[in-house]
Amino acid sequence: MSDIQPVPPEEPPQDLPEGASRRLAELEHGLFTSDLSVNEFLLIKEVGFHPVGFVMGSSIYHTGIQTRKWGQSQELTKLTEAMYNARELAMTRMEEEALELGADGVVGVRLDVNYYEWGKDAAEFIAVGTAVKAESGVSHRNKLGKPFTSDLSGQDFWTLMQTGHIPQGLVMGTCVYHIAHRGLGATLGSAGQNVELPNFTQALYEARELAMTRMQDEANELGASGIVGVRLEEKSHQWGSHTIEFLSLGTAVVKTSDEVTLPRPTTIISLDN
Amino acid sequence: MAVPSEAPGDLPEAAVRRFAEGAFTSGLTVPDFAACLQMGLEPVGFTQGYCVMQWQWYGSSPMGMGGGFGSQWGGIRGYSETWNCPHGFVSGEHRSWGQNYEQAWVEDAWTTGFSTAYDRMVEEAASGGAHGIVGVVDSVQPLSDMGVLEFRVQGTAVRVTDGVPPADGRPWTTYLAGQRLTKLVEAGYAPVSIAAAVSSVRVWANCVTHYLTEGSNSMFASATAGSEITQTVTAQTVARKIATHRVRSQLGHDSLHGAALSTVQRELGEGDAEVECVLRGNRVRRFKEFDPMPAPRPTVRML
Repeated sequence: MSDIQPVPPEEPPQDLPEGASRRLAELEHGLFTSDLSVNEFLLIKEVGFHPVGFVMGSSIYHTGIQTRKWGQSQELTKLTEAMYNARELAMTRMEEEALELGADGVVGVRLDVNYYEWGKDAAEFIAVGTAVKAESGVSHRNKLGKPFTSDLSGQDFWTLMQTGHIPQGLVMGTCVYHIAHRGLGATLGSAGQNVELPNFTQALYEARELAMTRMQDEANELGASGIVGVRLEEKSHQWGSHTIEFLSLGTAVVKTSDEVTLPRPTTIISLDN
Repeated sequence: MAVPSEAPGDLPEAAVRRFAEGAFTSGLTVPDFAACLQMGLEPVGFTQGYCVMQWQWYGSSPMGMGGGFGSQWGGIRGYSETWNCPHGFVSGEHRSWGQNYEQAWVEDAWTTGFSTAYDRMVEEAASGGAHGIVGVVDSVQPLSDMGVLEFRVQGTAVRVTDGVPPADGRPWTTYLAGQRLTKLVEAGYAPVSIAAAVSSVRVWANCVTHYLTEGSNSMFASATAGSEITQTVTAQTVARKIATHRVRSQLGHDSLHGAALSTVQRELGEGDAEVECVLRGNRVRRFKEFDPMPAPRPTVRML
């Protein structure tokens, strides 16, 4: 990657709230919580994992401000770093909860950003998911020794396993970009025409590619062979229409077998209706 | 895509770097990813193309009167039809004349935006050594309060295991992925490219259209409560025909699979409107006879 790297917290956070520690201690006695649907639960059991607990992490982060030039398209690196670090903190705390439970991974991860009226320029980054553990006792943690994370549903997790792949981590790349305003001359020059605005195209294109490259770099660090379920999200948050965050997300996977064990699809006639 | 355009050759540097690096990326859902692997399609990378354009969907005055957005592209091309008032002179405000006409300058600009974004996506895929692009998704979206439209075309570039690269080096494309693509190939068709075309018809309402669309209970509109608004219906029908004709002209001897026709009518007030119609589909070519599929298995789902 390029220039922006997520800055890891100086020390792994050992700052779980007391309530969380107590909840996790209770889970270690066999009771589990999960936000999986019944079908997801069954499919995860079917591929040899069982849920050990619902885990979460959050970070309320002051994203600050960064000056931008009215007529220049540019990446706002301070904001990019802030958005990156806040999500990393939330993810790390969620992983820490999963580690407490001795989990091999976390499935169905959702990563959200919420804004509150009481905190201007502050946002809460939340990561939640269901920690799972292999029933065989074989560790499925990733190359960094951490539980794998994945935003895949139980059904997708099952399907992925049938293709000989296993998740390594939820990987992401972000880029906060300021799109230049058009000057009066440029506006008048193309008045009355439907024409391409190359500066806008180039800025949006570059920003998306940067986000995707950073996501791919995270996957490479995990030794992944690929990223599945990639999606690109765009939000202006509270910065105005010309400043946009491009967030690229996906699940990094590694190939464990060349064998695809999915049953061959067959045509059916439903007798239900 | 069959719409001709120049290959831009202007990919962002980050795009070239992304394709050169290790892990593949895939925008497919996991079931589609799995089905593609079963078919022998290996993902190469998530591929994308964009084109941002200054945009307006209609001019400020009738083409017949001159001036307005797009007037520099010349006069009316293609469909044009006038709608005269059946009442004679009523007043200065009475719309004694109306017109439907094809907005060629909008159609040309749309084709430029779409094909430029498409070519950029294909160029990205070709730079990664892909044979094809599956699961293509395209959209045309306004960028918030900037007065512009962004044409987006995205998909997942794939390589056929032990396959031969396309003869012209240009990857094939399809909106299909996963099991729908599997079924297409099993039925004996190979994807060639996506096909898409737009038509745009401007409606300048005459008095009858004006009164009927406003819901006026006017003696000038119609003697009955429910009447067809002929001018608007004609605009919609013609727009669909033009889009269909355009896509058909892209197909050559191939077929169109999974056609989807969408029509949007932008109301401008007093019966005036702009009708936009987009037809999309998969251009496919028969390469083998249809293999009969096994009889379907009766199934009861326990919901």
